[in-house]
Amino acid sequence: MSEHEDRLARAGEFVLGLLDAEARAAAERDLQTDAEFRDAVDRFRRHLSEIDATADADAVPTGMWPEIARRIAAMPQDARSDRPMAVTPANQNSPAWRRAGLAASLLAGLGLGYLAGGWQAGVREPVVLVVLQTAANEPGAVFEAFADNSVRVVPLEDFAVPDGKILQVWTLYDPAVGPVSLGTMTRSEIVTLASAAFPRPSADQLYEITLEPAPGSPTGKPTGPILVKGFAKRPPR
Amino acid sequence: MTQAPPSDDECDRLLGRVRMGDRDALGSLFSTEAGRLIAIARRILRRRELAEEAVQDAFVSAWRAAPSFDASRGRARAWLTRIVRNRALNMLRDDARLDLMRDDELQSFQERGGGATAAYTALGEGNALRACLDQLEPQRRQSILLAYVLGYSHGEIAATLNTPIGTVKAWIRRGVIALQECLS
Repeated sequence: MSEHEDRLARAGEFVLGLLDAEARAAAERDLQTDAEFRDAVDRFRRHLSEIDATADADAVPTGMWPEIARRIAAMPQDARSDRPMAVTPANQNSPAWRRAGLAASLLAGLGLGYLAGGWQAGVREPVVLVVLQTAANEPGAVFEAFADNSVRVVPLEDFAVPDGKILQVWTLYDPAVGPVSLGTMTRSEIVTLASAAFPRPSADQLYEITLEPAPGSPTGKPTGPILVKGFAKRPPR
Repeated sequence: MTQAPPSDDECDRLLGRVRMGDRDALGSLFSTEAGRLIAIARRILRRRELAEEAVQDAFVSAWRAAPSFDASRGRARAWLTRIVRNRALNMLRDDARLDLMRDDELQSFQERGGGATAAYTALGEGNALRACLDQLEPQRRQSILLAYVLGYSHGEIAATLNTPIGTVKAWIRRGVIALQECLS
């Protein structure tokens, strides 16, 4: 299979939603850096969307829009930004990040064992767990994310936070929406970040911590170096 | 359909207003698009209440993300549809899928496959996508439609078509290459 064909195949599988979490994350990175891949994805999406246009409209419950209006009433919009999540020139081709998905799977067991006691004692259970890894492929933090998008952050490394900087926690629940901020931390310590009005956390959802200018990224999107990142796992019930 | 769907231009115009912080414009988009979007989500999620939840979440996401909408990469309606599809697929990949599978009233995979075919025949004879899909071998075409319209995984397509998963993967890779080359 030629490189061109391979690109078309990956674009096709990506648009069809058939890639696994790791391949999907790689494709999302390539969308930011590989113009040919992005064009193939956009073009194939545009063609396939004609199938969506054939759907006959369902009835819409009368309470739906008022509920959406209530949810967005006090919700600010994300700042305009062209800067994608998880792509900076320094790390985009790093093999360490590419290996991180596999290592995160292996480490999930460690994370589960580490946190199991907390669930029994706690009043509520996390929806997903995340083992976040450093660029050196070491576990750097563990997150417990709850249904309301509050997140308990357990740093496993003492991240240096220079003066005028802050640690900012992000998640990517939908590539079309882009990364969203879950909150900031002034230093490397165990904290629970307040709830946020995003969809319930899902398996394979990307989380990361970046270093940003205090009091938080000026653009509303990650701008600084990524300290740790990882994909969510659902604990077995 | 009793009402002509609003034009793509109208959707682009409304999303332009949403980008500027106009919540009423999002309400107008909702009133013209929500019915179709629920139907698209229901093809994937099957249950009406889950489809409605997906669309509701998608409109909240669209509100937040509207400022970063990039008109050079597609139309507003397709962007909105993509957010709904992503949300529905994420809900499927979540363990909600297990609950879905337990319901006796739900149609079997094979029966639902008819829905994917119906979506394709609705494209009409003169449509370019339809023409290119028609050129594919039937099993490749069916695999691609099951994935796109119903959100099936490789394993579910294999079960539906009673075919080894490796064969299905090869069909789809070859099929999407041929389809894109035909469409270009």
